[in-house]
Amino acid sequence: MKSSPAKCDQQLLRDSLDDVLSEQQEDWLEEHLEACTACQEVLAELASDAEGWSRVESALVSEVSGTTPLGRGMISTLVPGNQRGLPGESRIIGRDVLPADFAVDFLEPAQEPDSIGRLNDIEIRSVIGHGGNGIVLKGFQKELNRLVAVKVMAPQLAASAEARKRFAREAQATAAIVHPNVMPVLTVHSQSQLPYLVMPYVDCESLQQRLDREGSLPILDVLRIGHQVARGLAAAHAQGLVHRDVKPANILLERNVDRVMLTDFGLARAMDDATLTGTGLIAGTPQYMSPEQARGDSVCLRSDLFSLGSVMYAMCTGRPPFRAQTSYGILRRVIDDPQRPIGDLNADVPDWLEGFIDRLLAKESASRFGCADDVASMLQRCIAHVQQPSNNRLPEAVQALAGRRSVSRPPSVLVNLRGYVLPLIGVLAVVVLGAIGASGVLEPAVDPAGGVPGGDAPRKTVEPSAAVPLEMPSQRNEVWHDGVSEELSSLAAELDALLDALETNVDMDHQTRN
Amino acid sequence: MDQPETRHSLIVRLKGDDYERAWFDFVAVYEPFLRHLVTRLGVPERHAADVVQQVLVAIAKSVDGWSDDGKAASFRRWMATVARNIVIKFMNRERRQPGAHGGTDLITLLEQVPAAPDRAAVERYEHELIIWAAEQIRAEFVDTSWAAFWLTVIEGKSVKSVAAELDISCGSIYMSRSRIMARIRKKVDEVLDQPLATEGDG
Repeated sequence: MKSSPAKCDQQLLRDSLDDVLSEQQEDWLEEHLEACTACQEVLAELASDAEGWSRVESALVSEVSGTTPLGRGMISTLVPGNQRGLPGESRIIGRDVLPADFAVDFLEPAQEPDSIGRLNDIEIRSVIGHGGNGIVLKGFQKELNRLVAVKVMAPQLAASAEARKRFAREAQATAAIVHPNVMPVLTVHSQSQLPYLVMPYVDCESLQQRLDREGSLPILDVLRIGHQVARGLAAAHAQGLVHRDVKPANILLERNVDRVMLTDFGLARAMDDATLTGTGLIAGTPQYMSPEQARGDSVCLRSDLFSLGSVMYAMCTGRPPFRAQTSYGILRRVIDDPQRPIGDLNADVPDWLEGFIDRLLAKESASRFGCADDVASMLQRCIAHVQQPSNNRLPEAVQALAGRRSVSRPPSVLVNLRGYVLPLIGVLAVVVLGAIGASGVLEPAVDPAGGVPGGDAPRKTVEPSAAVPLEMPSQRNEVWHDGVSEELSSLAAELDALLDALETNVDMDHQTRN
Repeated sequence: MDQPETRHSLIVRLKGDDYERAWFDFVAVYEPFLRHLVTRLGVPERHAADVVQQVLVAIAKSVDGWSDDGKAASFRRWMATVARNIVIKFMNRERRQPGAHGGTDLITLLEQVPAAPDRAAVERYEHELIIWAAEQIRAEFVDTSWAAFWLTVIEGKSVKSVAAELDISCGSIYMSRSRIMARIRKKVDEVLDQPLATEGDG
């Protein structure tokens, strides 16, 4: 047992501090240090210079002697209490223990009768909602006497170190945005097992909920909500923060108050990264995404403007501008296809508003408006115009956008004539389908070998909807034309769905190329 | 092991182009310690997270205004003062309006940071940093090793008597206490902008 290495070895001492010695080396060094005062000194010096030793010593001494005033109720856990009872006694610092798992495990037992559990200082009362990126809980902070909404990151995202990092970073950035149209973040806990953030609890519904309930909204509401969202975006953009997930579900409408709040900054970013760029899969609906996001290119501030345009489109029409059966189908539309003219779906929307939204939905980011601030200012003046047209002119920039819609179309007069027109639709459908068949769009899907002849070529042969009525030779009766146009629109919508179903295979094949 | 430039450059980076990443790194390094600091300065546990947020926000808002005056530890002085002021503000509000604390309007606080840093605040900051570092690394060591360090370094007992008391060898005491010391130093240096020993602001 007694190897007798009398020699001193500095490297061994260094390794000892780094705790990389083998058991044998450790035994040897321990024995060597017993007697070698030189090595004792060298080891101490390697650990820290003399001043470091003395400063740590004096800090710890003053700590135990009580000369440093401690915060309320704090007891240092450093002092070995009972040296005899040391083994097995746990002295792990309680303060930095991570909150337990979420979902079920995360919550500690409730202390209040009307609470389902506790999260640090928050009594959780109910689950407000949940989605792909996390769950939202309603809670109450007793000491602060306030209701809060607690947003907890989904476990699958929390497992990704990158998602957690971004969550922390973005949440901190969000906390720095103070604006009436941005939901404030009170607290961020990014170190816990499942990161969560605390926001004020506001009695509100999401724009998504309202759209689900009411369909399209009155023009004034479209402008009002669009305006406030643009203001919130401008505040975020001023901090250099791109929201990247502007959609109706992330826009909150406060009840009984004319206030709109943009929410979900940090999680949106985290989710985007873990899902889209991380694995090549897309979670959730990319319906409001900008083309550059859909392509996986880098986003810019104007990407949010595109999404704002999509949201305003949805408010006007009750549906998002780009729809398909699959996420990839939607992405493809976002990237390649023009949206259907708003006027086809809601004739009450004025030309200038349609032009305005079209401008936001420009495929090239440079073709959109310059910044959220400009958009907000223009919308503000549009609101004034709609409320009092005689006193407030439309902004010239907006006026100039009127009449740019691709299909001019009289107001929707004749919904009642549908029945009269319907028999014709069957005929038209045959014509349209025939045209599609001839163009070869359907072929890839029915190709028994499953191949895609011609690569990208067949995909965009059919422009949905609006082009067809213009080519109708008979315009002798405007009423007629209008009714046909309407029916063709809905027919085209059905075709959209049909094509998407058929194109699923094509999309799958295209994934690798895109 | 000691890399004073690392911390320093982190702070400089906060003002640079790669702000977002730098900010994340910064928060990752400082947030745990700031939590310790503000609770020890008397902020109740349940408010600690809020107050830490306010400190971080204040720093985020004002890092552009901070400039290295060339003296050692200037960033530390600044941090110490910001944290102290925000804690004081918190306390004052708590006293005036118990239970009504909340909101994010402390951002402007930094403008009230006095030009001359409060020496006591800096000393307290450094003290807390050491205590925090010791607590952080405490769990890495078995109780016997910790006791060996504590009894010989802090309580000043002789190595021989402690060896007898703990029934371990003198050699293992030398090893344990140097290891613990090195870990504390390393932990401190992770957060400190300058290593302890080069403290130059007298």
